Amino acid sequence: MTARLHRVLGPFVLAAGLAFGPGIAAAGPEDDTLRAAMAGEILNLDYLYTTRREYIIIANMTDARLFSMNPETQQVEPSVATSYEFVDDMTIEVKLRDDVRFHDGSLLTAADVAYTYNWVIDENSESHARTLISRWLDRAEVIDDHTVHFHLAAVNPLIIRDMSQRVALRKDGTYHQGDEPDFDAMAIDLIGAGPYRVVSFNPGVEAVLERFDDYFGDAPEIGNVVVRTIPDIGTQQAEIMAGGIDWMFNVPLDVAQNLGMRPDIDHLAGPDLRVSFIVLDAGGIVQEDGPLTDVRVRRAMNHAINRDEIAEFLMGGGASEGLHTACHPVQFGCVQDVMRYDYDPQRGRELLAEAGYPDGFDLDLWAYRERPVSEAVMSDLEAIGININLRYVQLETLNQARAAQEIPAYIGTWGSSGVPDTALIARVHFSDTSDRHLSGDAEVVEWVLGAEQTADQDARYEFYRQAITRIAEQAYWVPLVTYTANYLVSSNLNFPLDNDGVPRLENASWR
Amino acid sequence: MLNYIAQRAALAIAVAFTVSLAAFVLLNIATDPAYAIAGEDADPEVVEQIRQRFGLDRPVWVRYLDWLGGALRGDFGVSYYWNKPVATLVAERVGTTLTLAFSALFVTIAIAIPLGALAALNRNTWIDRFALWVAVSAQAVPNFWLGLILIILFAVMLPIFPVSGDATWRHFVLPAFVLGASSVPPVMRLMRTGLIEVMGSDYIRTARAKGFRGTALLTRHALRNALLPVVSVLAVQLGHKVGGSVITESVFAINGLGRLALQSILGADIPTVQILIFIFALVFVAMNLLADILNAALDPRLRIG
Repeated sequence: MTARLHRVLGPFVLAAGLAFGPGIAAAGPEDDTLRAAMAGEILNLDYLYTTRREYIIIANMTDARLFSMNPETQQVEPSVATSYEFVDDMTIEVKLRDDVRFHDGSLLTAADVAYTYNWVIDENSESHARTLISRWLDRAEVIDDHTVHFHLAAVNPLIIRDMSQRVALRKDGTYHQGDEPDFDAMAIDLIGAGPYRVVSFNPGVEAVLERFDDYFGDAPEIGNVVVRTIPDIGTQQAEIMAGGIDWMFNVPLDVAQNLGMRPDIDHLAGPDLRVSFIVLDAGGIVQEDGPLTDVRVRRAMNHAINRDEIAEFLMGGGASEGLHTACHPVQFGCVQDVMRYDYDPQRGRELLAEAGYPDGFDLDLWAYRERPVSEAVMSDLEAIGININLRYVQLETLNQARAAQEIPAYIGTWGSSGVPDTALIARVHFSDTSDRHLSGDAEVVEWVLGAEQTADQDARYEFYRQAITRIAEQAYWVPLVTYTANYLVSSNLNFPLDNDGVPRLENASWR
Repeated sequence: MLNYIAQRAALAIAVAFTVSLAAFVLLNIATDPAYAIAGEDADPEVVEQIRQRFGLDRPVWVRYLDWLGGALRGDFGVSYYWNKPVATLVAERVGTTLTLAFSALFVTIAIAIPLGALAALNRNTWIDRFALWVAVSAQAVPNFWLGLILIILFAVMLPIFPVSGDATWRHFVLPAFVLGASSVPPVMRLMRTGLIEVMGSDYIRTARAKGFRGTALLTRHALRNALLPVVSVLAVQLGHKVGGSVITESVFAINGLGRLALQSILGADIPTVQILIFIFALVFVAMNLLADILNAALDPRLRIG
């Protein structure tokens, strides 16, 4: 509904906004408070029990992890941990700083770290991080106040990366204050160790954060951050025009471009790790011997799509590009010297004819996001003779139909949680246990699995090179475009954009 | 009368449960709450974990019976999305929605009654035409459009009121006007029609013959009867305000039941949607009942009838 409202009202809001100039500033440097708006509700401040992008943004401000990810270099750097070392093949020793304090003033020790990790992998924890961490962690052991041993259940190349992103550290005993574990112990009154502490939190309405003076790292420049839930994008536009907020994200391109013309608002467009693609039933899992099982048909579809124009005119913002691989080009292992299918509808028609479909065929194409992109894809495919029945549905509906193996082709997107490693997109889409995997290629599954079972980066790269090359050669997917993250920010706010597309409000400053 | 009220109350509960069953089945067909809770890029194993945690892996009919059993005991379950008892969620927000609903009703009365009376007393003049224009315009303008236009006018260009939120009374002015405006046309037209009819009736002629004129004639004799149909419509409109505040609350980011309904539907939060539909259905039936009772109280002929 929000999107519909925006489409209908956007022009009115924009026209009025542009015509009448800047509003009265309420947010900003005067009270050293950055006011940010998010459409998705913040209901729970505990990142161990949440998943969505909004929660990542909050957790980066309120929580500390063992390591941190340098957004520029995408390299893992020390944070709460000063170093790590493999004691043997299945044990990692992590050394901790001695000056890390939680927001309640207590010092962080190895007992807190071990408790957090052991709780996350506990089968009763119901933590959203459990699946990820229990893939490699058997148990965490306290060696001394500032040393922890991580005993591994399996070798995994993403251990340190998981430590830098997924597990927010909690105090020893946090979830065990009563007889029963309390999963919501940190949902409202969060005690983290990040650069900001929570002053107040009204779920679904507002979270008020202030700079934590005892933070062990570099202190953020802005003293206070208020994150408000404003579900309607039109209302968010009005707020930023009136000076009620300083920052909004996930802004539709046309809105961002138009409001960005105002002198008091900047439009920022940055890269995002999200990519879009069409998954094809190449393995005949949905329709045995269907047209999509023929590689010539799949290649024809790849030739049919005008990726560059979709990227430029429908995604826009400058950071969106045509995609040729089943991963984002900046992700580790995402080799780019693969078979490419240039936009060539004539070649597409020829390939269809060669495959025995000179008059095309009927295809149900499912989609749930960016309707204009879906319609452009439909139009391109129909131009080579494929009669598309576009099934534009809610994500949940698509998920259900896919789980029931009713979808021969769908336009999917994947954000990889902002992690620049092919593992984050490959493991979900090319695994035997995933209903997203429709290629039926056992070798690709083996390569993807192999890349997850070694910590040797060269070996991993080779596994992914083989998998990504095969996927492109066999045209199991029709890769579409990379995404752009569009932001609107007050012109007095300096908001750095990072390559992984994760907005880091803690790095913002006033101009 | 008591018998009548008891019958209507039983009907209300039956309607509410029927609507809740339909809502439960439709929501389960249309969405998967586990995916909605987990988010777009969630790992399938996390989704499965959520499904088990909330018992969503059980058949739909088992879950409905489970919900129904709880509801009959007064336990409406726990929200999947907010992770709170839904009764608590509703209790936290009902005050905000009632504030908005009554404010909107006040706006409706303040505009529609005088306008309708003016139109009736100045039949076929420019005033009557103006009132008709107001009614047609208010009916034609969608709530969300009016809401954003008012925001632009009175929060952005002339920063008199806040753009969004519900912290102070000033936050309620624009949304109350938006929500109230949609009820102006029916109330105004009923008022106009009712007053024209009453002003032409025998007892008004008698009152005039006895020397009553102007305001005294209008307030002491004409308005009471002319307001009869208006009162029942106002009661029903109050139901609309409570149940129909979804768009207004979302546009103005007001944390009431309407916004909760939208959030719950988008988040496939079935227990919350269930209780809200149950409440909205009850409110509509209760408001209709209230309208009948008020009419009976205002018009002795109805009581006798």
